[in-house]
Amino acid sequence: MLEADSLTKTFGPRLAVEHVSFDVHAGEIFALVGPNGAGKTTTLRMLAGLIHPSSGAVRFRGQPTAGAESTLRAGIGFLTEAPGLWDRLTVRQNLSVHARLHGLPQPDRAVDAAMDLFGVADRAAEPAAVLSKGLRQRVALARALLHDPGAVLLDEPTSGLDPESARDVRELIVRLRHERRAVLISTHNLDEVDRLADRVALLNTRLVALDTPQSLRARAFGARVRVRFAGPADAYARTLSDEGLADVRADGHTLSIGLDGAGLQTPDIVRRLVAAGAAIEAVEPEEPSLEQVYLRLLRGGGS
Amino acid sequence: MNWSRVMALLGKELADLRGRPGIFFPGLFTGGVAILLPVFVAILVPAFTGERLSDSADLQVALELYRQQPGARALDPEAAIQASLFQQFLVLLVLSPVAAAMSIAAYSVIGEKQARTLEPLLATPLTTFELLLAKTLGAFLPALALSFLCFGLDLAVAAIFAAPGVAPALLTPRALGVLFLMGPMASLTALSLAVCVSSRVNDARSAQQLAVLVVLPITGLLIAQIAAGFVVSMPIILAITGVLALVNLGLMRLGVSLFDRETILTRWK
Repeated sequence: MLEADSLTKTFGPRLAVEHVSFDVHAGEIFALVGPNGAGKTTTLRMLAGLIHPSSGAVRFRGQPTAGAESTLRAGIGFLTEAPGLWDRLTVRQNLSVHARLHGLPQPDRAVDAAMDLFGVADRAAEPAAVLSKGLRQRVALARALLHDPGAVLLDEPTSGLDPESARDVRELIVRLRHERRAVLISTHNLDEVDRLADRVALLNTRLVALDTPQSLRARAFGARVRVRFAGPADAYARTLSDEGLADVRADGHTLSIGLDGAGLQTPDIVRRLVAAGAAIEAVEPEEPSLEQVYLRLLRGGGS
Repeated sequence: MNWSRVMALLGKELADLRGRPGIFFPGLFTGGVAILLPVFVAILVPAFTGERLSDSADLQVALELYRQQPGARALDPEAAIQASLFQQFLVLLVLSPVAAAMSIAAYSVIGEKQARTLEPLLATPLTTFELLLAKTLGAFLPALALSFLCFGLDLAVAAIFAAPGVAPALLTPRALGVLFLMGPMASLTALSLAVCVSSRVNDARSAQQLAVLVVLPITGLLIAQIAAGFVVSMPIILAITGVLALVNLGLMRLGVSLFDRETILTRWK
């Protein structure tokens, strides 16, 4: 649906984005993560047709967008980092101006539908200035989706929101996936990425890694299993080492076992531990947080 | 160009202005001064000093200027000098829409930048020309309305305070040319300059300062009229209007080329 093809952007001597390539499919939530200054917003702006890449290309629905940025902007919904509502205008007026700028055939009907969908219809006549941050974000989201875009770019969609408002926004984002839109989120909230994203791109001027959250975990830490015992785990660490497992870490009543290259799978390990007399309370796959994955990949430069 | 997009943004500009009546203060103040100055010079000063205008040797030139006008109404010397003074100060009335336009236009782009509302706007299919045209019209139309209002007030003041016949004497082709040809063109020039500058700076005052360049020639015209007995005749009005129209076309093109979306988005935060 929306494709970045070797996008590079320089601002004077500063390289902001270097040879970044990915595509976002319809019905997919694609997360762009990275440290401050990594080029996330610049990438989003290039994809939204707001700034020109120094080299590389953006393709929307398979078509290059160079020279047709106005058409690209008509097909994309862009939630900017700041909601950017006109404070003196009412919610309805804010949306109505954008509906008309997008040339919608029935702007008033589109505005009514958007306000209903985003739960702001009861605030339609209020100036944007009096809205809470969460409501402003809802209105901004409604504005980004007024023209029924095929691809939606969301820059820090839950930044600064209270937990309830953030949850509402996340639900709206999931709804976009159900509606088969291509959704690209730029965020620092890795917990949110873990909950929402089908694929994650780690950006640090260039693309450090791109995969599903599960695959990124496996790439950064390998597959691991955690076993909890009724008693101390030290003795069973030795048992497994004797079985040829090299990556076994004991911590109190718990063992953390690396499976990559072990030659054994979880049922085999459990069978050997039980045979050694272990009283096992729980066995579960060990999942490092996405934050741990992020930090490891970023420090390691990806793989 | 898509007119419906221009009209959509123009509607927003006008709606936004309704919430900021203070932005009209510079235009209203300038208009007020332009309306009151001839009252002070032509009516209050003679009333307080007890000296008739027609008795002053210095003001005979005003009488001559009035009588030289083709088709001038027949007025007694006192009323003719009053009419001449009111006519001279009409040029100053042009400053009212110029001041209003500058004030509005300087904030039109910079205000959007500072409120961070420009990026969502730029993310729509709106082209740079459409954006600047809507911004220009959004400042020009209220300024033009202010110009009409001030002229109406000027006529009312002349009708109430000046001698009979002075107010109708202001409704000459020359006066109307000054107010409704030269004035709007000067306003457009000022606000085009303000829009050009506000595309490149992040401070409304900088935009206003440069737009003051338009005020200087207008003030110069007034001084030339009073000091040198020079009359801004209809051919001169038409010539100035024509030159300003050409300048405006150039400024609009310059504005489009100066409006660098990338710099605006990446530099101004």
